[in-house]
Amino acid sequence: MRKLGIITASVLTLASAAAFGSQAGIVSLRDMLLAIPLTPNLGGDGTRPVSSDAAFSFQTVNSPENHQRPFSFGNRLFNTNWVEAPASVKTFDGLGPLFNRVSCSGCHTKDGRGQPPENGKGPMDSMLLRISIPGTGEHGGVMPHPGYGDQISERAVLGVKPEGRAEITYSEIPGAYVDGESFSLRKPTYSIADLGYGDLGKDVMISPRVAPAMIGLGLLEAVPSETLVALSDPQDSDGDGISGRPNEVWDAASKKKMLGRFGWKANQPNLKQQNASAAAGDMGITTTFASATSDPDMSDEFLEKLTLYTMTLAVPAQRNGQNETVKKGQALFAGMGCSGCHMSTLKSGEVTNFPELSNQTFHPFTDLLLHDMGEGLSDNRPDFAATGKEWRTTPLWGLGLIQTVNKHNFLLHDGRARGPAEAILWHGGEAEKSKEAFRNSAKADRDALITFLNSL
Amino acid sequence: MAKLLKTWSSLGLAALGTAAIANAQPLDIQHNIKPSYMILADANGEGGGESGGGSQGTYTLGSTDSNAFKYEATPQIDGYIDLVLTSYEKTAHDTKRLEQAVDALLATPSTETLAAARKSWIDARPSYLKTEAFRFYGGPIDKVEGEINSWPMNEAYIDYVEGKPDAGIINDPKIKLSVDDLEGVNQKQDEKDVTIGWHAIEFLLWGQDLSATGAGNRPFTDYIAGKGNNDRRREYLKLVTAQLNVEFDELVSAWKPDNGNNYAKTLKAMPEREIIGRMVNGMAILAGYEFMSERLAVALDSGDQEDEHSCFSDNTKNDFIYDLVGIKQVWTGDTEDKKRAGLDELVRGQDAALADRIDGLIADAESKIAALGDPWDQVLAKPKGSPERNAAEAVVTALQALGTGLTDVGGKLGVLVLIPTG
Repeated sequence: MRKLGIITASVLTLASAAAFGSQAGIVSLRDMLLAIPLTPNLGGDGTRPVSSDAAFSFQTVNSPENHQRPFSFGNRLFNTNWVEAPASVKTFDGLGPLFNRVSCSGCHTKDGRGQPPENGKGPMDSMLLRISIPGTGEHGGVMPHPGYGDQISERAVLGVKPEGRAEITYSEIPGAYVDGESFSLRKPTYSIADLGYGDLGKDVMISPRVAPAMIGLGLLEAVPSETLVALSDPQDSDGDGISGRPNEVWDAASKKKMLGRFGWKANQPNLKQQNASAAAGDMGITTTFASATSDPDMSDEFLEKLTLYTMTLAVPAQRNGQNETVKKGQALFAGMGCSGCHMSTLKSGEVTNFPELSNQTFHPFTDLLLHDMGEGLSDNRPDFAATGKEWRTTPLWGLGLIQTVNKHNFLLHDGRARGPAEAILWHGGEAEKSKEAFRNSAKADRDALITFLNSL
Repeated sequence: MAKLLKTWSSLGLAALGTAAIANAQPLDIQHNIKPSYMILADANGEGGGESGGGSQGTYTLGSTDSNAFKYEATPQIDGYIDLVLTSYEKTAHDTKRLEQAVDALLATPSTETLAAARKSWIDARPSYLKTEAFRFYGGPIDKVEGEINSWPMNEAYIDYVEGKPDAGIINDPKIKLSVDDLEGVNQKQDEKDVTIGWHAIEFLLWGQDLSATGAGNRPFTDYIAGKGNNDRRREYLKLVTAQLNVEFDELVSAWKPDNGNNYAKTLKAMPEREIIGRMVNGMAILAGYEFMSERLAVALDSGDQEDEHSCFSDNTKNDFIYDLVGIKQVWTGDTEDKKRAGLDELVRGQDAALADRIDGLIADAESKIAALGDPWDQVLAKPKGSPERNAAEAVVTALQALGTGLTDVGGKLGVLVLIPTG
């Protein structure tokens, strides 16, 4: 039904920045998009003017009436606590045997963002550790650990041993802005204790991932692959020091390599596959899509509704866009080169049966591409085309509401940053110049930049 | 009807501008509420998607016309505060009777005392359900709703279930039984791990509904002292029933005028339209989202017979009836025993046709609900397209229309109404 991300491997390989790029006299797609002024409607016509603690839980306001009921049901599925079979409500059983949480909302609390356990202690309630061993697995992805698969399940149904328990220790790295003000960054080290099924071996690679917020995902899915390919610049032919490139990942439905869009390393091509994989990996809930079964825990119809839900969670409107400090911060954001990756504007194509997502102009502050973020953020765990140092540009819409919705401000892929300033200071690699621009700027400018980010 | 909703929401965005949002003051609405509740409410997840629109910074719609939305609503606001207070007082009264019946059951367990306790539970529900129209705007109930009316439940988290005779806290003597301990684990790991509130008591009185036609049928012998883990079950039931009373006493205290720095005082001090905004959102979100979607449409779509609000007692149709009464009471201000100034008069003064329309939509929803099959799980067991399911679909449509109508009321009174799917 949905015609999204239809792009063949050859398109991906052949199309290059040059094909769309900044040849003399031709305005590049990137410049065209960057020239579009920011409006409060960060999520296009579906934007909601909400700033409450439920701000991430509204449906796109322009959804047709026949999408309201599937959305409501998807919301139910997202919040349902799956229980071990058999239970009195049979449509929602099948949990485990191994799992991380019993509901989607367990990690994506209030459709928002997860966080590391306080002080690194206690179970991971809204993040997890991915693991793998060196080598390339089926379809070019990671090579799962022979005993533990590709993630650590910290919980299990009664009578089954959990796989282990994640432990985080933080060390503080002192630093200073050029004006003398000091800061400290906390560097996490991950280990796994109480292993339930034997030693992990020396080669195991661990990558921590917090649950991202759920807003605007349908719009990101609806950006034509050609756009993202055009925005990429793998050889840095324009010499700006930024060389974003798309991940190329396995699409189970078409059995082809596709452009990756979702996940911290863009290792999932579309939302349906992302949802089915998360249901199976994080909750032990099978679908016909992700598991070899004809009697799935979650029916095809339910998976479709869950996917509609994840496609149409609205982006909240920008607050205080006309405030002078916000406007100053917005200019600094561009001036420091942040928008080189955190693209302020993207446009969606036509999405069959989803008028609310079609032909929208919106402001996600991402290019969905992989960028080298330097050694400091590296997880040393390649994932399809992404190297250990490469991460997908994180969308910044909704950033200022994480505190309101999720009562924390822990940012980056593992929540190590305590607020936007630390997140910026962790940037390295292709973002080194921008990070240094921030570190070198006056306090008033740094504050203005943060004020702008919090308006999103 | 979705179109109308959308018009208002987008109008809201355009009209609000940034000034209104920027000037919104954070609301101090937590007076008189135990600190532990605040933390629990914050740490909880979405509560089964029951958070509705959440507590918005401001409900006031802006306008370029300085004369727009000028009206005098003091009688309505005073009437509302009185309605909320007396409604919680009535609920507290009814839950005290429930506690007495539970005491009688525990004193002399028998078929009769168990039946009497069940009847007290059913008799106490209407007064609570009528208060559900006071939810969904960050008021006192929204801080403790998870302690009072959480559902659905993971039954095996509390007590034995079919095939698991040793399941639950009751059958695990290692777990201490106290209000603090039960509150401490209520929905702590998972929203379905409900340990306290109406539906925990319901499960303890009825047991699992394993019958295709009737309700749950826990034997009274579960409460005979000294047998198996019965003493723990007795203690558990006693604790959670007493705790329900504590909750309602605190809600009464939060709404009493001249009772120190409580919510009634905080609310009264707000700009008039902020208060009206809360009144209208509570009704609109209950009608157009929580009731319509979470309790009706979702259950109809899940195809599961026991996917219902009061599944152990088969009392769900009553839940529907009295939720609507609650909405009507906020609209008219009136209860059986008292007349108050209602929103209906306020709207009638500005737009008689709209007031008539809301009257009609409420009456329509009332008659559609009355025509619903009972018990509700029997409706859910019927195939798509059956007369029983069609009757339920008619309630969904009626509530959607009411939600839309109340959104229009918000527009008329200059307040932003935020129904999550509207």
